[in-house]
Amino acid sequence: MAKYKDAVKQPGDLSPRVKWLRDYYFEGVKRDWNNEYSAYTTGTPWDIQFDEMTYYIVPEVYSFMSTFTTSVRQAAETIEIPDDFFKKAIPERKAFFTKKAVVEKMPIKILYNDLLCGSNFNLMTSMCLTEKEQKKRDKRLKKARQSMRFIYDHGYGNGGATSGHLIPDYAKIIKYGFKEEYRLLEERYESLTEKEKSSQKGAQIRAMLTACTMPKELGERYSKLCISLAEKEGDEKRKEELLEMARITSKVPWEGASNFWEAIQSLWMTHMLVMSDEKYPGPGVSFGRVDQYLLPYYEESIKQGMSEDFMKEILGCFWVHCNTAYDAQIRVGGNQGITAGFGQLLTLSGLGDDGKDMTNDLTYLILDVIDDMSPILEPKPNVRIHNNTPEKLLDKMVDMISKSQGAPFLINFDERSIAGMLRQGVRGKVEHLINLKNAHEYAPVGCLENTMVGNDRSGTVDNNVNLLKAMELVFGNGKDMLPYFDPMTNKYTKLKQYGPKTGELSSLDTFEKFYEAYAKQTEFIIKKMVENYELSESIRADYNPTPYLSTLVKGCREKALDVTQGGPELNFVTMEAVTFATTVDSLLAVKYLVYDKKECTLEELVDALKANWKGYEILQTKALHKAPKYGRDDDEADALGKRVMDTWSEEVWKYKTKSTGRQFRPGMLSWNYWIGAGYILKASANGRNEAQFLSNAICPSNGADINGPTSNSNSVGKVLGGKQENGDYLDYMNSLPNGASHTITFNSSLVKDSGHKEKFKSFLRGYCKNGGTALQINILDVDVLKDAQAHPQDYRHLLVRITGYNAYFTSVGKELQDEIIARESHRQY
Amino acid sequence: MLVLNIQRMSTEDGPGLRTTLFLKGCPLMCCWCHNPESIDLNKHLEWVGVRCIGCKSCLKACKQGALSSNDKNEIVIDQTKCIRCGECVDACPAGALELKGDRKTVQDVFSELMKDRSYWGENGGVTISGGEPLLQSKKVKELLKMFHEKGVHTALDTSGLCSEQAIDDVFPYVSLFLYDLKVIDREKHIRFTGQPNDKILSNYRYLVDKCKSTDKKIWIRTPIIPGATDSDENIMQIANIIKNDDIDKWELCAFNNLCKDKYDRLYQDWVYAGKSLMTKKRMDELLKIAKENGVKNAIWSGMTKLEG
Repeated sequence: MAKYKDAVKQPGDLSPRVKWLRDYYFEGVKRDWNNEYSAYTTGTPWDIQFDEMTYYIVPEVYSFMSTFTTSVRQAAETIEIPDDFFKKAIPERKAFFTKKAVVEKMPIKILYNDLLCGSNFNLMTSMCLTEKEQKKRDKRLKKARQSMRFIYDHGYGNGGATSGHLIPDYAKIIKYGFKEEYRLLEERYESLTEKEKSSQKGAQIRAMLTACTMPKELGERYSKLCISLAEKEGDEKRKEELLEMARITSKVPWEGASNFWEAIQSLWMTHMLVMSDEKYPGPGVSFGRVDQYLLPYYEESIKQGMSEDFMKEILGCFWVHCNTAYDAQIRVGGNQGITAGFGQLLTLSGLGDDGKDMTNDLTYLILDVIDDMSPILEPKPNVRIHNNTPEKLLDKMVDMISKSQGAPFLINFDERSIAGMLRQGVRGKVEHLINLKNAHEYAPVGCLENTMVGNDRSGTVDNNVNLLKAMELVFGNGKDMLPYFDPMTNKYTKLKQYGPKTGELSSLDTFEKFYEAYAKQTEFIIKKMVENYELSESIRADYNPTPYLSTLVKGCREKALDVTQGGPELNFVTMEAVTFATTVDSLLAVKYLVYDKKECTLEELVDALKANWKGYEILQTKALHKAPKYGRDDDEADALGKRVMDTWSEEVWKYKTKSTGRQFRPGMLSWNYWIGAGYILKASANGRNEAQFLSNAICPSNGADINGPTSNSNSVGKVLGGKQENGDYLDYMNSLPNGASHTITFNSSLVKDSGHKEKFKSFLRGYCKNGGTALQINILDVDVLKDAQAHPQDYRHLLVRITGYNAYFTSVGKELQDEIIARESHRQY
Repeated sequence: MLVLNIQRMSTEDGPGLRTTLFLKGCPLMCCWCHNPESIDLNKHLEWVGVRCIGCKSCLKACKQGALSSNDKNEIVIDQTKCIRCGECVDACPAGALELKGDRKTVQDVFSELMKDRSYWGENGGVTISGGEPLLQSKKVKELLKMFHEKGVHTALDTSGLCSEQAIDDVFPYVSLFLYDLKVIDREKHIRFTGQPNDKILSNYRYLVDKCKSTDKKIWIRTPIIPGATDSDENIMQIANIIKNDDIDKWELCAFNNLCKDKYDRLYQDWVYAGKSLMTKKRMDELLKIAKENGVKNAIWSGMTKLEG
């Protein structure tokens, strides 16, 4: 129980069945069943399962990669392979092996009173490579790993070919089943020439054909289990349920679904096998607009007399299944493996054709389930709103926000997001695939990354660049400003001329010259990131196909190319910028301190940064508190922010991957890098010390948004391009098709009663017009207030609002601070 | 105009989400005032201790000898010597010295406030508050007119201590008057606010009559201050004055003690520094009295003593 009453939201009124399953899930390691990895090998001495490249964007595990690889190998059970196994092409081997593991080996289980089949899916399957292939791969991998370590250790960022982060065409399978996909693949195979059949193309289609039969046979396996359990079941009602589940799993996902239960079963099994195929639990494999494509099945079941309560039970079971993704590493870490968000995202509401709002009865039903199930990590809900979102939906959303510590969903803003998608259509020369007629069908994946649905894998987390590194390279004239620590050799690196020479500090005698130098170093770091990505991307393309996932992504069948090889119709990869506000604020500080106010020379400023501001405290204080900042709706500061946005994002559009032809596109998501990279990147000109946090995604720097949420939001909208006549969409501009993560923390008094909820709705409507693409709403945390009490210097801009009265928390004195903490704790005003 | 502060995303100064403009200068000196820095009609200098890094740059910058530091390393301002030149404010690296009050053109204020127009929605808008905004009634009229022409909902938060002419000036451009009635007893009014209330009461009547058969609204606000305005009798008296008038809302605003630090910065002792908040029970009682005396649309708001 939390120390503070009401500080943690409790789940809602769950049915006994769902409550039991939810509670059971949270028992973690104490459960008698779990979904931790099952590992399988071909039995060859060189075989491995774990693909370290999928973790290149997770710096926390760099030190464990070799351990993971060997420990999984040791745990792997051998699956017998046919004699001609290695004569086949890699995708065929992979499809065969994964299917065998899934259909014959992987444990299956029906949980107590569960209404859905599909328990285990966390798999570690063989690489299925010959000795020669494996050696070649290892050799290339070594280079990829070195490159990845270099860019991480030197503060450029991180990057690697990552799993998931797409919305498979689940709607197609629910409607027609894998049977139809199988037929189309057969047709496609017949259309190949004999020469093509014996080439990579033929192998790919054959692999996809095999993959299509995997869910069919797994379904049949579950169906048999249900029948045998039904035979032993004493309770008549449960017996009936089990027999119905047996019927359903013998039908879907091989065939199309015809009611709600079938549709959810089809969705779950199809989805979980993507995670098996990719050997990664829940990496942003997202569901898309569930309230749209599930609506016909909802309506059909309502017609057939199914109650909404029973539908909620089915969905409750679905929720629990999604969370078992975390079982993969259930014995690792202190929280039973529940360590981070995997991001199986689902999307509700949003615009339809002709500006129509698409909210429906199912939208509200699913919101109820979210409300009842939360707090729980998966699936991650995202609600799309726009200028014509109905009051009823906003009421429901604000109501849910008021009950939770933060919004139990992310809010996506359609107009700004669609503007970004349309920009991508133009810049990527795919207007036939993304245009005014269909851009509203977009949905986010992972956290908030906007993509199209069913034909798009945009590698939304594969590249994360620290923009701030370019500033450092200006200060070092193309060298690191200071040597970096090399954890492999335990030594400091030598200063080398990695980046271009952009001029001795003394030659940068105007801010324009300084900015030009910054822009050149930005070109360099982005090129460096692109080169790094090519290494792992090309290895994946050559050795790590996912033929099952390829059956679910439009373009792969048509091109006879795997999803990992550039098969999807929309073939993009994303560069996410980290440290945006820190960089903008640093440029603003350089301009203010060196060029405008002449408080110091550029050389002195660099000396201060090298000394981590030690001995330069007055200058640091000026950088922190006198220099302009992004996030205050200050037009001049935000104009520089826009300039930085243009500089880096234009650079990104210049590149495509060589091996797979994927066009780079820009976005802003920082996951947790803004914390970790803060320890790597040296002190920055905005007054930040080394080891202090960087700015998060598109958010202003911590404490910089002193004018409140509306000015903060206005700044975000402006740097994305603001509004213009003939914008990308209506009058909306958006430089970031991927979207940008924006978090604002509000005082809980803002949603304390119905009058205030109305005001909060007004804010959301305003954000639709002026703000960014996505907003996470947090409610002020008691712990933050306590920390502010202990460290007032870090929180001087923390505003608390009590019944409309604003006060800077740190300036009100201990006694009143205690009172405010007590009030926030009890949500009492 | 002499602007004290612009409060964006304001939630308590009228309907909907608003932007509130606080102007500097007030003819009253309410002893409970929670914006004491708004009373002075001129700019004044403040030192915010929690921000100070102790570099003493300000002492060097001040040519008037108005600044000194005491044995606790606090900066002490001699307001009689300070000429509000702002040299020390520029010199302070930490923003610990602040010149309160900013002279701005009406056009600049208008543009600044309009930045949040998208968030106001149908109900929200701008509120002009203070201090007493009608001390700058000519400029306020100009500003209100600009909003009025843009179709923005406008509220004017006034103490009522002004000329009828001032009311006439702004009247066409105000959608909602937030009118303070604090204490009805004349002697008490003088004691607590420094001024008699005759003009306030006659202006109230003038305004109510003027609003008749227009779509303009009036909200009455009464700060509920322990020992000053919180008697049964005072609430009854206010109720008697307003009960037959077309008042949209009467808000009893519970005393709030969050501004203690503001008095510290003005080197003033605040009589209410140690006072505890109103209880919910007492606020409910006062509301009951208000309603029983004929004002059905009375409500209470604000922070009450934490219970349990």
